[in-house]
Amino acid sequence: MDFWREIFMALGRNKLRTFLTGFAISWGIFILIVLLAAGNGLMNGVSEEFSDQRINVYVIYSGETSKPFKGHGTNRSIMFDDKDIRFLETEVRNVDQVSPRIYQNGFATCNDKSSSIFTSGVRPVFKDINNVKMVEGRFINELDEKNREKVIVLDESVRDKLFDKGVSPLGQFVFISGIAYRIIGVSEKMGDSNGNGYVPFSTLKTITRQNRYWMLHFSVKGLETKEDNEAFTEYLRTQLARLHEFDPDDTSAVYIRSRQEEYLQTMKIFNTLQLFIWIIGFAMLISGIVGVSNIMRITVKERTNEIGIRKALGAKSRSILASIVTESLIITTIFGYIGMWLGMVAAEVGGNILSKVQEGNEFSINIVPTIDIRIVLMATALLIVCGVLAGFFPARNAVKIKPIEAMNYR
Amino acid sequence: MIRLEKINKTYFGAQPLHVLKGINLEIAEGEMVSIMGASGSGKSTLLNILGILDNYDSGDYYLNGKLVKDLSENEAADMRNCTIGFIFQSFNLIPFKTAMENVALPLYYQNVSRKKRNQLALEYLERFGLKEWADHYPNELSGGQKQRVSMARALVTQPKVILADEPTGALDSKTSAEVMQILREVNQTGITMVIVTHERGIALRTNKIIHLKDGIIENIETNNPDQIDFNREIK
Repeated sequence: MDFWREIFMALGRNKLRTFLTGFAISWGIFILIVLLAAGNGLMNGVSEEFSDQRINVYVIYSGETSKPFKGHGTNRSIMFDDKDIRFLETEVRNVDQVSPRIYQNGFATCNDKSSSIFTSGVRPVFKDINNVKMVEGRFINELDEKNREKVIVLDESVRDKLFDKGVSPLGQFVFISGIAYRIIGVSEKMGDSNGNGYVPFSTLKTITRQNRYWMLHFSVKGLETKEDNEAFTEYLRTQLARLHEFDPDDTSAVYIRSRQEEYLQTMKIFNTLQLFIWIIGFAMLISGIVGVSNIMRITVKERTNEIGIRKALGAKSRSILASIVTESLIITTIFGYIGMWLGMVAAEVGGNILSKVQEGNEFSINIVPTIDIRIVLMATALLIVCGVLAGFFPARNAVKIKPIEAMNYR
Repeated sequence: MIRLEKINKTYFGAQPLHVLKGINLEIAEGEMVSIMGASGSGKSTLLNILGILDNYDSGDYYLNGKLVKDLSENEAADMRNCTIGFIFQSFNLIPFKTAMENVALPLYYQNVSRKKRNQLALEYLERFGLKEWADHYPNELSGGQKQRVSMARALVTQPKVILADEPTGALDSKTSAEVMQILREVNQTGITMVIVTHERGIALRTNKIIHLKDGIIENIETNNPDQIDFNREIK
């Protein structure tokens, strides 16, 4: 009790010293947290941008043979058909869902407005494979596909050209190449590609009488590593080579692209970014520790006289050390806590301001600063421990020197 | 009370300095002794050894019948706390504590309760006419007042010995005379008093003057302060 009274008295009487020490600590932690939050915000923004690349997706495109094989000449184009879809769906393990894609380029008209439109015939699973996000309404469903419904999903850019602001296009009809489609939904724009429309695969197939496709999308499961990925690609190529009678070593006959590769690349970017943020955070932490340590060291140096006097009056080294370490512990803990809260508040406020500024800016990355509370607590704890240690070592040295030298220390 | 036998002390720096060269000295209980000498004669070193603020290389030092040699830090601290009271030239008060808190500080290290500490501290301050100044900080006090606070602090533990290092060094002659008068009165209560000074006027107020020169005791002069006219002698 007396011990604590003595400590709080010492802290209260040396307001400037207490404040400066505390400020150094608060500031260190504050900056650290704000920086970590900003770094995390950047990560979040980027990962949102890349979120559609985080699904395990394969695309195969048709190509032309470059090697003669089994009596076939070169430059034979390899297109896919319903056989390939069945094969993928039923015979290839790892394949989850398949969506072929056929296209029609044209104009969409509605009332007296028109817009160019690039219509894709796709299956319902296309939405998940390509991460199509809906703004309103719904995407194509199994029933549409089965019944060859003349329904369409427009993207925002087409909607904006055909409809006035605030008018809901749902349930309205658009005409494309003389056929009326009922609008069932509006999707977000996909990256930079504008003017997309999606209709059921079966519908567009019937209308355009296409039965050979140059692009198949499918999602896969259970391919977690690069090695899995490569083996699967190799397997797929040999199987397609068998079906279409081309040389399995002919890499131009079909092109197999996987999002897994993009995914791995994305992850590489992410890891680099993450490393960068950690390095900055670590550097900040170090400079915080140096700052806190310095002020503690100076504080103790300043008290050398006092330590000498106390020793001459009969204080034991242990009791002086205990009170100095407790004082630093109290200062670092209280001010560390304050710095931590201020940092978190600043990150929150900064995040709000950022998202307001970015509203309506379609190219901006959505940066939402977030803080991992565990990391914040760990960093704060580390700074506190370092502050206390930084007080402890010079204090130990100060109590070691002879009281007479300590008293005469200038 | 104090017995020194062949005390040697050397400071090992770039040039080893043999400061005390075999000091033999005995100071009886209740004596009032001064140590005089030019600067560099070793008088401060001797006082520091007496106060267990510094160690010595060889010889024996008995304080209050106990051999002070190779003490652990804690033993030294206890001995300083209970047996010795210090008065310094520069007062060495803790600036962020009030007069009363400064006086009470040695008792804190004796684990005396706060209430009792402050009560005792006030008693001693009253004795030195500083009761109204109890709540003032050292920088609000005059030199003489500060020295009286430090005397109160030295006495509050009721030590056997008071060691004073140039207690009047920072004071004017009138205040010096007052301080010496108080020290005399303290001595008359039976407390042994050792004062280091380079002023003859101060030394003449003690009963025994030890002259130190180049680390040895040159001579010991006995003196009767009652026969000296200080109005003529001091400063």
